[in-house]
Amino acid sequence: MTGEPMNDDDRIAYLAGEPTGSIDDMDARADLDELRALLADPGLWDEPAPTLEDAVVSAVARAAATPPVRTIAPAPPAAATTVRTSEAVAPVISIDRHRRWTRTVSLLGAAAAVIAVVATMVVVTGRQDDSESFSMTLEPTEEVPAAQGSATLTKTDSGWRIELDATGLPRRDEGRFYQAWLRNEDGTLVPIGTFNEGADVVLWAGVSPLDFSTLTVTEEAADDGDQASSGIRVLAGTISPTDE
Amino acid sequence: MTADDIDGFRRGDADAVRQVYREYGRLVYAVARNMLASKELAEEATQQTFVKAWQAATSFDSTRALGPWLTTIARRTCIDLHRREVRRSAVNLDDVTAAHPSLVTAGPDMDQGYDAWAVRQAIDDLPDDERAVVRLQHVEGLSHVEIAAQLGVPIGTVKSRSFRAHRRLAAALGHLREPDREHDRERDHQPARTFDPPNPEPSPDERRTLG
Repeated sequence: MTGEPMNDDDRIAYLAGEPTGSIDDMDARADLDELRALLADPGLWDEPAPTLEDAVVSAVARAAATPPVRTIAPAPPAAATTVRTSEAVAPVISIDRHRRWTRTVSLLGAAAAVIAVVATMVVVTGRQDDSESFSMTLEPTEEVPAAQGSATLTKTDSGWRIELDATGLPRRDEGRFYQAWLRNEDGTLVPIGTFNEGADVVLWAGVSPLDFSTLTVTEEAADDGDQASSGIRVLAGTISPTDE
Repeated sequence: MTADDIDGFRRGDADAVRQVYREYGRLVYAVARNMLASKELAEEATQQTFVKAWQAATSFDSTRALGPWLTTIARRTCIDLHRREVRRSAVNLDDVTAAHPSLVTAGPDMDQGYDAWAVRQAIDDLPDDERAVVRLQHVEGLSHVEIAAQLGVPIGTVKSRSFRAHRRLAAALGHLREPDREHDRERDHQPARTFDPPNPEPSPDERRTLG
């Protein structure tokens, strides 16, 4: 039993919060109450930041420019072979392209294995014992597609100084933060520092990037009582020797 | 929005992406802001929505309206982000009180996205003077007298603006409550082709090795 249907004038008055007399149409009242709740939601009136337009355009441009292949990185250890898809693949792949690549995955799988071995050999054979500096580009993941960054790793007597500069990472604080890691081919992670914003971050590592050649940045929470990586990867990259 | 704009968007052309954003960015953001209740997350969701839309754009049927298709992507993106945030804020069950948000707060409702999009569009379509009255009335909770004082206009003007505005809103939003709405959504609002759900969640064991 919902009562007499509400007429237009009553609906308008009720929506405006004005006296409408006795209204028996409970369904209509409930619907209008929901609309009034939406109209009263400050978030619905909120304007996006003016910078969001450029961020969206940049994110799509980066996605369009990203080749739909896995980044060449050391193979994960056997225990970590079920890698989370969103972190392992290139950040943006069009669906059609994705399906084309899926169709040819068996061929690419073999090719990728060869490329990975060759790439590893290039890094290994190309390393120069007197190299003191490496650089890398950090690519975004689906967690934060707008993020991008770079890092320079320089050997000092104290250890490896890592200068990381990232854009597009929203500031994290109040118990949340970013943590950077170096990872070796066995999948062993070494934490190299935490930070709130990605601009001009200086990190330090006590292991050589020649052995721990993949740098990742994850998002972490201080109150989860867990020192291990959250697995929420926002940036990743692999070193390449710089030209001196 | 022209076919050229959509073709340009498919190609990732910056001008076309900008054009689509200017047409729909505020609405996508409104959906995200309503569903996620966070400005920061809403902006992240907006970016992800446009990237995912570009990813799926080759499958978009350009004879359909772009807005509802974007809404569907935005809603899914918001739900994924909500799940991610819940995962991030996970605490030991022994430490959870009965009032903990993860126990008492439901995730975003799929319907929220459609309604938020429609209401924001209706708000944007109001003349500026009427929109100001509606905002003060609903968001700030001011009476007509208080609105008149704040805007410096006669109370009769506030009443007439309020009536006209709510008449427009009732007309624009009446379809939200029609019985056939669910059917219409199925028909009109589904993307031309669905795509694999993003961000499959890792198991706890996987998370430990993924840094």
